[in-house]
Amino acid sequence: MVSSLDRRATFAAYAVFLALVALAPLVLDGFWLNRLAKYLVYGMLGVAIAMCWGYAGILNLGQGLFFGIGAYMLAMSLKMASPASLQHGGSGPVPDFMLSNAEPGAKIDLCCINPLAFVWSPFRHQSFGILMGVVLPVAVAFLLGTVVFRKRIAGVFVSIVTLALVLLVRLLLVDAQPLTNGFNGLSDLAWLRFGGFEFDPYGLATYYLIAAVLALVLVGSRLLLATRAGLILRATSGDPQRARYLGFDVAHYQIFFFSLSAGIAALAGMLYVVVAEFASPTFLDLAFSITMVVWAAVGGRGSLLGACLGAILINMLESTASETQSLVEAWRVIVGLAFVLVVLYLPKGIGGWAHDMLARWGRTGRAAE
Amino acid sequence: MLDVLLIGLSVGSILLLASLGLVIIYGAMGVVNMAHGEMVMVGAYAAVMTQIWLGWSLYAAIPIAFCVAALLGFLIERCVVRRLYGRLGDTLLATWGVAILVQQAVRLEGGLAFFGIHIQGLGPGLQNMPVPPELQGAFLVGGTSINAYRAFIVASTLVLTLLTWLLMYRTRMGMQVRAIIRNPRMAAACGIDVERVNAWTFAFGAGLAGVTGVLVAGFKTVSPDMGTSLVVDSFLVVVAGGVGSLLGAVLTAVGLGEINGVVAALSNDIVARAAMFGLVILLIIVRPQGLFSFKGR
Repeated sequence: MVSSLDRRATFAAYAVFLALVALAPLVLDGFWLNRLAKYLVYGMLGVAIAMCWGYAGILNLGQGLFFGIGAYMLAMSLKMASPASLQHGGSGPVPDFMLSNAEPGAKIDLCCINPLAFVWSPFRHQSFGILMGVVLPVAVAFLLGTVVFRKRIAGVFVSIVTLALVLLVRLLLVDAQPLTNGFNGLSDLAWLRFGGFEFDPYGLATYYLIAAVLALVLVGSRLLLATRAGLILRATSGDPQRARYLGFDVAHYQIFFFSLSAGIAALAGMLYVVVAEFASPTFLDLAFSITMVVWAAVGGRGSLLGACLGAILINMLESTASETQSLVEAWRVIVGLAFVLVVLYLPKGIGGWAHDMLARWGRTGRAAE
Repeated sequence: MLDVLLIGLSVGSILLLASLGLVIIYGAMGVVNMAHGEMVMVGAYAAVMTQIWLGWSLYAAIPIAFCVAALLGFLIERCVVRRLYGRLGDTLLATWGVAILVQQAVRLEGGLAFFGIHIQGLGPGLQNMPVPPELQGAFLVGGTSINAYRAFIVASTLVLTLLTWLLMYRTRMGMQVRAIIRNPRMAAACGIDVERVNAWTFAFGAGLAGVTGVLVAGFKTVSPDMGTSLVVDSFLVVVAGGVGSLLGAVLTAVGLGEINGVVAALSNDIVARAAMFGLVILLIIVRPQGLFSFKGR
């Protein structure tokens, strides 16, 4: 049967992918491990986009907002733990950029070094940063989703709202220079500590932390979307009006999966900070949010694994191309061209195409029997 | 105060010029053209190139930029957009790809950079477009000094908006475009050649963006990525104003421009832009159909 063939092929694809991710450290050194860990983080973003766009039918052009909030929240607590913030003679840690920005004679303490600096004080506890890294983005997504989906705003209008929102937050982030270090973002961060263990960004532990989270997110999302809720979600994205007639609360499902996708993006943002050791306003650039959509579109928005692989492979190729200057620009031409061609000729992406090929193969196989 | 209002008006004028094309394109064709900002950029480069290679002034650059951008728009419609009618989300993505291609074409000097050939006026660097002497400086009206170039922007916008209005409401082609905006299928059934009208509409919208580029080039440095922020702003204008509504675009653009000008005077440019975005988000949430809209589509 086609569907069982399909299921077996999907299972095999997941198994091969996860095995490859698990075994990669056998052949990679620290530098490449760090790089691959970043790509896996992007893969997580691919999963978030595929869930939101491919399954829920919501094209979020501001996924960078959730990635960025997650990243900044963790980065703030890692900034507080960095040696540069600790060694200044004051009572508690103060981020070093605040010290260099401080007016002469200002009190070197988070209470009053600048008007809003006290916001930073709870980030002395790393657990607060980690908690806020998930809670805040999900709360924002929940609120936004509630307002937008309850009002039955759909399609391109949702995209425009999310796009405007990410840019709005980005502007405010840059403008609040004394608080966020503006354009420069937060760098020079401490390593993530967990029960006395430090995660070295180039170490095996960090890689496996990210690989494990990705595996969990990927398999968890896949299982969730296979449940009744996932099925209803697809019905709502196919024809919201009909789903309403059937008695389903469409907004309900949209809000849930939109928030979940935001949570995944936020998790990715936090892990990116662990492995890349910085957070910057570029995470909230429009280009980055649309780039994520490109990964998912090329990989296949209707398939979580496809979108994930799309993100990983495109980034791998990109960093290989970026070794030489002239290739960087040429690479962007290829990305632009690939994007146009995929939208025109492979609307379901490479994953969807593979899926269709498999189905056709299954059919001809059955016909021959 | 009057000078602040004029600054706001000139900001609004640029917004309006960039949006006019989008209003028609989005309204008539249901195409979210993310490459519209690149049309502005191409217009600005056309101005720089006329200055460098022909030695002509900004005035001469206006029709040239219109033609260059319109031609490019026509090609894009023929090659990409044409295949995507009815797939709104996909037009957004595909035209984003086109936008990357156009940007890279300028950066790489049409691909010649690979062969070590460089064309003055193109490339990844910043370019400048000198303003004619009579538009530099300011003049006094009733005790307030008015920047001559800003006044020129406002005046050009008035003329072009009027022209667009005449085209849309006083010509046969415009009537057909309006019919398509209301109901494309009915228009096709009434014998309007929708494909042909769409192609011309797209080209005209791109041409208007090209002219915007010339005006922007007069007060900003010209660079390959200058279009991206403008396309976002003008999209917000189109959506907030109401899809396909010329009047909505005019009022929204001027309103947002004024808000931008006033907030910028009170705090700074970044906050002004943020305020604009915030307002538009609220507007879309409260009135998803836009300020001025009619049933249809």
